[in-house]
Amino acid sequence: MGGQRRVRQSAIRMLAREYSDSSLTEVGAGEFDPSFVVTKLGARINRALVGGVIDRMERRDGDNGPSYSGSLRDPTGSHVFNIAPFQPELHADAEELLARFESGDRFLMILVGRSRWFEQEDGGVFMSLRAEQFTVCDKETYSMWLVGAADSTLRRLDAYEKSIGIDPDQNSMEEAGIPSDLIKGLIASREHYPEFDSENYQVGVLQALSAASGRTNLIQEAPEPPSDSGHDGNDAESDTITPIEPAGDLHGTIIATIKARDSGEGVEYDSIILSCVESGFSREDAEDALESLRDIDGAIIEPRFGFFRILPTS
Amino acid sequence: MSDDGKYAAQVAMVKEECKDADEGEIAKEFKRYEEEFLIPPADALRSVMRKFQTEAGIEVTKSSSPSTQQAAEKKVERFSDLNSDDRNVTIEVAVISYTPRIQKMKSGEERKIAFGWIEDNPWESSDKRERWDYKDWGDKSKNLAPGSIVRLEGVSVNEWNDKRSINVNSTSRVTTLKEGGPVVHQPSDEPLTIEKASAMEGFVSLVARVVSTKPDVIVKRDGSGQLNVVRGRLADSTGSISMLSWADFDHEPGSLVRIEGATIRRFRETPEVNISDSTTVEVYHDNSFASLDQLSSSVKSNISDLRNGMRDVEITLQIESWNQRSFTSKDGTERVVRSGDVMDPTGRCRLTAWCDFDPKPGDFIHLKEARVQSWQGSPDLVIDDISQATNLDNPAWDQIDPEDHWVDVDLTDLVSGGTRRGIRTSGTIVFVTNDSGIIERCPESLPDGNRKCRKRLRDGSCIDHGAQRGEEDLRIRLVLDNGVSNVSLLLSKEPAEAFLKMSQADVAEKISKDGQELFLTSIREESLGRNVSVNGLALIDDQGAMVLADSATLDQTPASDAANLVMQKWGVAL
Repeated sequence: MGGQRRVRQSAIRMLAREYSDSSLTEVGAGEFDPSFVVTKLGARINRALVGGVIDRMERRDGDNGPSYSGSLRDPTGSHVFNIAPFQPELHADAEELLARFESGDRFLMILVGRSRWFEQEDGGVFMSLRAEQFTVCDKETYSMWLVGAADSTLRRLDAYEKSIGIDPDQNSMEEAGIPSDLIKGLIASREHYPEFDSENYQVGVLQALSAASGRTNLIQEAPEPPSDSGHDGNDAESDTITPIEPAGDLHGTIIATIKARDSGEGVEYDSIILSCVESGFSREDAEDALESLRDIDGAIIEPRFGFFRILPTS
Repeated sequence: MSDDGKYAAQVAMVKEECKDADEGEIAKEFKRYEEEFLIPPADALRSVMRKFQTEAGIEVTKSSSPSTQQAAEKKVERFSDLNSDDRNVTIEVAVISYTPRIQKMKSGEERKIAFGWIEDNPWESSDKRERWDYKDWGDKSKNLAPGSIVRLEGVSVNEWNDKRSINVNSTSRVTTLKEGGPVVHQPSDEPLTIEKASAMEGFVSLVARVVSTKPDVIVKRDGSGQLNVVRGRLADSTGSISMLSWADFDHEPGSLVRIEGATIRRFRETPEVNISDSTTVEVYHDNSFASLDQLSSSVKSNISDLRNGMRDVEITLQIESWNQRSFTSKDGTERVVRSGDVMDPTGRCRLTAWCDFDPKPGDFIHLKEARVQSWQGSPDLVIDDISQATNLDNPAWDQIDPEDHWVDVDLTDLVSGGTRRGIRTSGTIVFVTNDSGIIERCPESLPDGNRKCRKRLRDGSCIDHGAQRGEEDLRIRLVLDNGVSNVSLLLSKEPAEAFLKMSQADVAEKISKDGQELFLTSIREESLGRNVSVNGLALIDDQGAMVLADSATLDQTPASDAANLVMQKWGVAL
């Protein structure tokens, strides 16, 4: 594609899980060079095309004007997006979304955004997208996006599998038949990420395809019946996972976060998970650890759904 | 309410938290998440719960925003201006050393880091500098070469045991202001294929077969005389390239040569091998190298291969239309020029003949030594002598119907190729530009008297003709993207009207009633994230790629069919 300056970066179709699992970023060397988030499957994302049901929408008023933050939920997780004060052309539509969201309405959206991230001192990276354009869409448009995102993910999975055992250099990758747009990202991903199981992404793709085919129930596990004893049935997965090895640091982070933020009401689920993600743990591990602390260690309690407190020692 | 049972488990959990919520409403919401948003009830629990908590006025804490933690930029010249807790620092430094190392992180991940020395005040001699340690957490090895001077942005100060140092993070930006050592660029003697050589510029070595040679004369611009040169064409199994030799070149067509130290230069958009006195050209022996006959297919072009500036083009075409017109040339003589539209299976273009050539629509013709010129941005063929053209007795392919001749081209192939007419491609709309809608064009007549200026007025003024009362026109600009490549997509009045299912007058009325912003919102609702198929002309140049659409159609394939196709393509099953 010429490799010329100022080539517009293409919008990569991306399910939420793959994007939020990323911790590798690449800042361009020159002043105007693009920056990228590199996923485990080797997608180099400067611009992404995402979709989902709106799950959160907030406005903050700062010195420079309002900014907005929201989440879009797809079958694999949530994309966090932001609209900055210096994007006034998006503010009218953002207000409209906010009003609809706050009135209790929920709706599907398509969003094109540029990758952004926040990094903590100890290496944790938290991914988000700065909205470029977005629209409320119908189910058919969203389903077609799911199909496109699944196709794009399968293409990366295929390239990733071909790259296993291949020397991480341009020539070897080309010879292995890996598409040229994925080679740079796969090399970077191999250097950065420890070995991982790509099965999760395969499952995500199947969830997306089954949702798009109108078969939401096929691969979902049957929900556990709620137990009388309280809250341990609030998430269908909580009973099916095997207890994880206690990772001291992760548990410590959760306890510390709750201690620091609890002003009597408990600390909200998302806030604890975000704090763990910011500290460099994966969302998945943090969710597991939170449940393990509650259900197995009993160190924390969930007195109200979604709010956690330290078990009072009396 | 028959769905109540299905969601009973989840409804009960929401009900427990939100005592006043109506069970029917809760079930309805779960149903909506499942059927409209495609999220199964177990996964939707947290979202639905939050919605009803919010409605019941139960405080839901907002997640803390990492963005508020961003410190303001601090720009300093000397290390001594820094405090121990400064973040987001900008400073220019000289890089003294860079030592990479692998460090194991708490999370068990291995991370490539590096440490070394940097000195402030980098433009002064070293006795006026201060030296600090630094750590590179962001893998900036490419830009932190010892000996170079760099600007660090977004770095932070670290203090440990009373000693301060700089942390370069992965979000930091490192800009090279002065390179370290000279960049060593070794030109390779290893011969390249013509395909690879065509994509580069500068020194190359090649092994290729000489296809044709022709002595030519170049007249020096300053009138001081003329130079004898040899023009020709070289080929290998990957393609062919034209050649210009400024030195003697006496290798006959058919001979195989090894050329060392030639340069690739570009004439318009076409690469050309330049041979000078310092280039070595030797006869090369390789019995397995493709013969001239075998190479003839790489020498023969298709319309899709044509690039502005090509010479010696051999090509087979079907005539779509043919016209002639006469005009008076500068020297007062009457001249005739003939031209028409031509096609092959890869596309369509124009052919101009400066000779007595009169084919009929539907004829198949074969051209030799044709040249390519740019005409309205698209590469078009030119012949100067009737001996370059032959009419073919037998059709070269099944007659192409000019009414419906669109060649399907993948968006990525389109973008990496050259300008082409008559293409059909597809992609997803990812951007609607803010200037889409009604624009005003300059009505001033051009000197030739036949055409109007038609440039777009900005603030009521034409760049050439000043303030004007503009003529309204409809134009939509979009970005078409397939996840790997993208093009700008321009819909002029007719295709825009068809795409929007609105006349220009309706658009003008809608904008004056609702405003430009709501009009754009409505286009985004219709098209953002949707797949479209586009017929038209693709213009590819240094500025990027653009498709001028004859028509653009939203893809109506049902998602379930598309899902099945994707499953077949990758061999996965639900």
